[in-house]
Amino acid sequence: MTYAELAVTTNFSFLHGASHPKEFVEEAGKLGYAAIGIADRNSLAGVVRAYEQWTKEKPETRPRLLVGARLVFRDGTPDIIAYPKDRKAYGRLSRLISEGKLRAPPGKDRATKGECLLDFADLLKYRHGLLLIVIPPPSQLGSAPQAPRCDTRSRGEEAVGCIGSPGEMPGSRLTKILAALGRDTWLAASMLYTGEDRRRLRDLMRLARQARVPLIAVNDALYHKAARRQLQDVVTCIREHVTLKEAGTRLQANAERHLKSPAEMARLFRACPEAVAETLRLAGRIRFHLAELGQRYPREPVPRGKTADQHLRDLTEAGLKWRYPRGVPPKIAAIAERELAFIADRRIAHYFLTVHDIVAFARSRHILCQGRGSAANSVVCFAIGVTSVDPTDIDVLFDRFLNTNRREPPDIDVDFEHERREEVIQYIYRRYGKRRAALTATVIRYRSRSAIREVGKVFGLTEDITGKLADTVWGHHGDTLEEHQIRQGDADPANRAIARARHFANELTGFPRHLSQHVGGFVLARYKLDWTVPIGPAAMDDRWFIEWDKDDLDTLAIMKVDVLALGMLTCIRKAFDLIHAHAKSGKEPRLLLATVPRQDPAVYDMLCKGDAIGVFQVESRAQMNMLPRLQPRTMYDLTVEVAIVRPGPIQGGMVHPYLKRRKARRENPDCVIEYPRPGPEYPQDELENVLGKTLGVPLFQEQAMRMAMVAAKFTPEEANGLRRAMATFRHAGTIHTFERMFVDRMVARGYQEKFAQDCFNQIKGFGEYGFPESHAASFALLVYVSAWIKKHHPAAFCAALLNSQPMGFYAPAEIVRCARGHGVTVLAPDAAFSDWDNKLERTAGGALAVRLGFRQIDGFREDDGHTIMHERGYGYRSFADFARRTGLSRRALVLLAEADGYRGFGLDRREGLWAVRRLPDDDPLPLFAHEGNRGAAPEQGQEHIAPLPRMALSDHVLADYQTTRLSLKGYPTQFLRPRLEREGITSCAGVGQLRDGARVRCAGIVLVRQRPGEGTAIFITLSDETGVCNVVVWERTFELFRKEVMGARLLLAEGRVQKSPEGIVHLMAEKLIDRSGDLRSLMDCGEPSRAHHPRHAHPRDVKVLPPSRDFH
Amino acid sequence: MPRQRRILALWLPRLSTDRLTRKNGRPSDAPLVISGKANNALHVHALEARAERLGLYPGQPLANARAMVQPLTVVPHDARADAALLEAIADWCDRFTPLVTLNAPNGLYLDITGAAHLFGGEQALLNDALARLAAQGLAAQGAIAGTSWAARALARWRNGLVVPAGGEAEAVAPLPIAALDCDAKILRALRHAGLKTVGQVAQRLGSELTERLGGAFVRRLRVMEGQAEEPLTPRRPLPDLMAQQRFADPVVSRDTIASTLLALAQSLCGVLEREGQGARGLGAVFFRADGKVERIAVRAGAPLRDPSTMLRLLNQKLDALADPLDPGFGFDLIRLEVLLAEETKPASVSFDANENARRQLRFLVDRLSARFGEHRVMRFVPQDTHIPEAAAASVPAQDRDFTCAAWPRQPMNDPPRRPLRLLERPEEIHHVMADTPDAPPVRFRWRACLHHVARAEGPERIAMAWWNRPGLTRDYFRIETRDGLRLWLYRDGLYRETGLAARWYMQGIFA
Repeated sequence: MTYAELAVTTNFSFLHGASHPKEFVEEAGKLGYAAIGIADRNSLAGVVRAYEQWTKEKPETRPRLLVGARLVFRDGTPDIIAYPKDRKAYGRLSRLISEGKLRAPPGKDRATKGECLLDFADLLKYRHGLLLIVIPPPSQLGSAPQAPRCDTRSRGEEAVGCIGSPGEMPGSRLTKILAALGRDTWLAASMLYTGEDRRRLRDLMRLARQARVPLIAVNDALYHKAARRQLQDVVTCIREHVTLKEAGTRLQANAERHLKSPAEMARLFRACPEAVAETLRLAGRIRFHLAELGQRYPREPVPRGKTADQHLRDLTEAGLKWRYPRGVPPKIAAIAERELAFIADRRIAHYFLTVHDIVAFARSRHILCQGRGSAANSVVCFAIGVTSVDPTDIDVLFDRFLNTNRREPPDIDVDFEHERREEVIQYIYRRYGKRRAALTATVIRYRSRSAIREVGKVFGLTEDITGKLADTVWGHHGDTLEEHQIRQGDADPANRAIARARHFANELTGFPRHLSQHVGGFVLARYKLDWTVPIGPAAMDDRWFIEWDKDDLDTLAIMKVDVLALGMLTCIRKAFDLIHAHAKSGKEPRLLLATVPRQDPAVYDMLCKGDAIGVFQVESRAQMNMLPRLQPRTMYDLTVEVAIVRPGPIQGGMVHPYLKRRKARRENPDCVIEYPRPGPEYPQDELENVLGKTLGVPLFQEQAMRMAMVAAKFTPEEANGLRRAMATFRHAGTIHTFERMFVDRMVARGYQEKFAQDCFNQIKGFGEYGFPESHAASFALLVYVSAWIKKHHPAAFCAALLNSQPMGFYAPAEIVRCARGHGVTVLAPDAAFSDWDNKLERTAGGALAVRLGFRQIDGFREDDGHTIMHERGYGYRSFADFARRTGLSRRALVLLAEADGYRGFGLDRREGLWAVRRLPDDDPLPLFAHEGNRGAAPEQGQEHIAPLPRMALSDHVLADYQTTRLSLKGYPTQFLRPRLEREGITSCAGVGQLRDGARVRCAGIVLVRQRPGEGTAIFITLSDETGVCNVVVWERTFELFRKEVMGARLLLAEGRVQKSPEGIVHLMAEKLIDRSGDLRSLMDCGEPSRAHHPRHAHPRDVKVLPPSRDFH
Repeated sequence: MPRQRRILALWLPRLSTDRLTRKNGRPSDAPLVISGKANNALHVHALEARAERLGLYPGQPLANARAMVQPLTVVPHDARADAALLEAIADWCDRFTPLVTLNAPNGLYLDITGAAHLFGGEQALLNDALARLAAQGLAAQGAIAGTSWAARALARWRNGLVVPAGGEAEAVAPLPIAALDCDAKILRALRHAGLKTVGQVAQRLGSELTERLGGAFVRRLRVMEGQAEEPLTPRRPLPDLMAQQRFADPVVSRDTIASTLLALAQSLCGVLEREGQGARGLGAVFFRADGKVERIAVRAGAPLRDPSTMLRLLNQKLDALADPLDPGFGFDLIRLEVLLAEETKPASVSFDANENARRQLRFLVDRLSARFGEHRVMRFVPQDTHIPEAAAASVPAQDRDFTCAAWPRQPMNDPPRRPLRLLERPEEIHHVMADTPDAPPVRFRWRACLHHVARAEGPERIAMAWWNRPGLTRDYFRIETRDGLRLWLYRDGLYRETGLAARWYMQGIFA
């Protein structure tokens, strides 16, 4: 006795289903089903997840997996589930769904993201090869069929046209649909305890007999187990925007829509056993399998008359000559040969050629780019220009890729300048057409924040409570909401509604919420993509994305190119441009990533001191602490540096062993490195090959994988499973099965248990933040190049960084402060001198100074900036001249005045604003409109007014921060210094002077709060007019002072000084006090007391130096 | 030159909270704040002095306030109730001067020009007004000056001050610019210019200010300084429509009151007729000669514009008053108000007997409701739920403004899904013989009789609302006994949950 469930709605039918696809597949296996069909609402988004689980099930017992979709129509046709018989029919189904998704709703000119508009006629168009199950709607049942009342005037498509026409009896409507669909159609019957099941079944049997269509049993499952009913109710409420109390009959009446055992199905359908048997017959007719989906790469990049392999070989050879003008090193040539052979063998030359094609376009437009990923650090990629990492600098990593699992698709991500990536994307669309190039999807999942918000609403909690609960989650990576977090949200975890909301929020976490476009993962195809996977519109105009995300593509071995945006590349290119424009001789060639002088000791010296603000990747607090300890001297050291301050190595406890060995090696280059060894009966050097370059300590994701294979003897399949588990364990939770396997096998082979456990902890740490060596190596190059610019061209570096915002880690204020610390003169934005961008000016002494541009002024518009530059000519004579010639809007003039930008005209902030206000409003009366601009307003003569009250320096500084987020005039804390000194509070610079272990109190503005990975420490950077102070707050202390840590803008930290031998100073906080009130008092100073009037201070005003412009 | 006017400005900064705390006692002992909603977020709209002393402030996000003060009583902002209270206070201020102007949301202007001597001078009048308001549990501030703006600003910043004519400029000069109470943009401009007090602003050149801040602002400044006048707009009446009758001699007799009400109703109905409207709510106000005011209100299920019907409703209400209307020394003013007017469909004479019956039923409901109270005359409305016993709720029969689900539709040829009558509470039945897991009973004992089931349909499986009504899932059956009884019964709990120990209940009887 067996059964196949063919009507399954998973949670990829967003907010309809309440179980993951894999849960259905697992449960179907346990119940002994012959087959399980996944049919989501107008979507194929969940089928790959089901397929992935299916591949993991035991081949002997697993049910067959059928791939289909539940078609939901907008024209009143009842739902129809469609299963493609073969590959071609699958293509039709995919295209049918795409057509619905790309259809604009009536009255609109573009399709809506996330919707699929289907009519019955569409199905008829693509019907061939589809096996269809018509689901009779619950309300339209029973009732003896009556004579059809169809309008006799209707024409050919009568059967279709009549569906949905009012006043018609439901039975005949179904009959008509069945008749229109013809062969390969089934009528579904379900026994869901509605009270009339048997009568219904009898009616359906009669209807089916009349229509000559077989009846098929379904349970129309929404979840895999009955216990999920509650969660299903919750998601229904979320979908309908109601609370559970209001939901009423929108919820299911009972918990019957789960997978039931074949025996139970047979019992329920005892009146009609043939309906159960029919499920097996339908399943037996399907030959299609997801593994059949292959990928064919576009042919465009290959010239006529050449094979792809040959073309790639030609390009590689030419490239090598260009890269090594003095002759290709034989070692490199040999590697290239091996790589080409491998690529030919795997038939992936097309993939490399498409990437090359994109990169070549970027190069032709002078857009900087840099490739990374498992296949990117190959000699071939260096030769064809995908990467600039010289294989002679860093041991070639592609080798690893060659040796690992041969099924893994190659992976190349290319970073482009973030401001110009759009040009590249447009090129791809131009070149391949919109139907053949589409973005990958990203499955947006419920995180505990979003889950508690939504679930809280369902339980009737008010927004202020759910909002507070959500805010206790750090970042957006929190996975489950714990009781103590509820308490921190000032809520009572014992409160029933809150406890329930928490329970269901945790259950909902990890559920897919909607599909969104991936930032830049492109799938390219030789033929239309919608033949393989449905395509839908993205939020942005003229963008399309497929329904599958990168994991799905991996599962199906479909290759994609990630076209990513990287701010640092923009910055580097802008710096190169500035250096070129201001070069003394003007004859030097423009710099390129590959032509920046290598191995410059001065650059490494700077990095070793931890002087890295603005430098790519190593500018975070933790990285800047690591630099002096790691003492990088080579490109490979930078690769390690980039990878080591990550959750993986930290959780695996690998950081200290590595630093220790490095130090030993530095002090004595001949010291012997101990490698972890297995028992004596095994090859002793097996890990030396894996860990050689990192001194016997595993640091990279690839090393962990290699260890699994070498030391724990994972088969390639197991290793692949581990890799997948690693990437997805946050929402899949399968990693623990691998944990035992990994540790036990290593111990069995004689390794120390602690070492094995540490290695596995590291693997867990890689999790979603995994950082492979191949990526680190590509980034290391950018670390070096940006550090080189910072060292040798600090002014250009500062200007380029500011011109590339938003990017990086620090606010403009810190970037500017750092540049000034390096002796760069920085000049304020000024209407008389500035451009839109920050630029370089020669000072009287001949040095290059940075002139801040209008882009630093919050809210100032770019075209206004260009107008000022355009009209400037030989300069503006006065403010009046400026206002008249530029014709700027009142708003723009006010913004400039508020930013103190009229000093060039001799007006300070206050006078400037007062002068601007005198100008008439922007919209002149029609009578005067012909006079053109307002400067001509004749009645405003010269004005002689009394001077305004003088503005205090502190007010100026605060106003600077409010308008440009930085001040060249001073620092807010300097005005509090007398007060702080009276209290015995040390300045940030003062902390560095204290001895190790001294008690100290230090106050400063909170620049950065950081909690690296799952770390147990929180890093806070405080800053005052003397410098910065690094505060470390241990988890325990943090829990006590969470509110202060999360909320304070000006923070007072009390604790002890900790000084490392390398001179790194930390303040280990024991107590934290929110002193934001002092900042506020600065802003209020001078205001007469406001009697009974309440203060309308928004907490935002306190947070950053307030973005509000309410200075005095 | 016209005589200088004298304006008393009253400011009731805690109107919203005072409204809740002064009369019926406070909602709870915890500090009280009023919450408002803006941009989908809750914030503190108003708060009592105690809450403000704890550091809360208007505009603060409510979640913050809750975090700072625990426990906290939060009541949603009710603008209509606040406005009504302000109106009532304005009514009450009639005692000082007939010229009272609302300065919403929480201020009043009293034009006391030439009236102060009746109260012993301006200062005495002001003190009296503030003391009386305080005695009524209303925090009030006030000041008197020659112009509304000056008086208003001073009421807030210099409570209790009486400014002699011509002294306004001097009095307002030290006030902060916030006292100008002008547009936030202008306030910002002034602050940016470093001008912090009204006096500093007033010292700038008129043209300088006009060019920058506009003529309206300068006018306001001049009004503040007592150099210009601002006309006060008279208060608008609150009811949609009203008619009143003054009596030179206060009236006491029931008959006179009734005939007055009828006359007023007639005049109101005339207006309603012209406007195509009817009254759904009526109020009668009786002003006693000694200042006490009595009000009654009645509602109607359908728009009314028939004077005699109105009078009958009012009389029903007057008869049913727990405290009969006490004329004391007599009423000197009786007012009839239409509190709620509604469009009526053009009245066409209907020959439909049903329509007439419906109208009579509506009127019966109105009369019964007026007599016994709205909550004594109820009717059923359908509810959107699967739970049978919760499927109908009773609401006041007069209510029409509720949203409800539709009664479930019955397919034409099908037997009814639910019995017309449910038992008050399900009755357990015994000795049930039924096949497992989900078959209908074959026989059972209910109310001491053994019943044999002849026909049955089901089960209809209904799970209880797990979030607030935990209970076992029920399997309902519609059955017909051999004796012809048609019953609705259920098994409480699924077989796999309860095994053979499940209880069975009778819940309803099909008619």
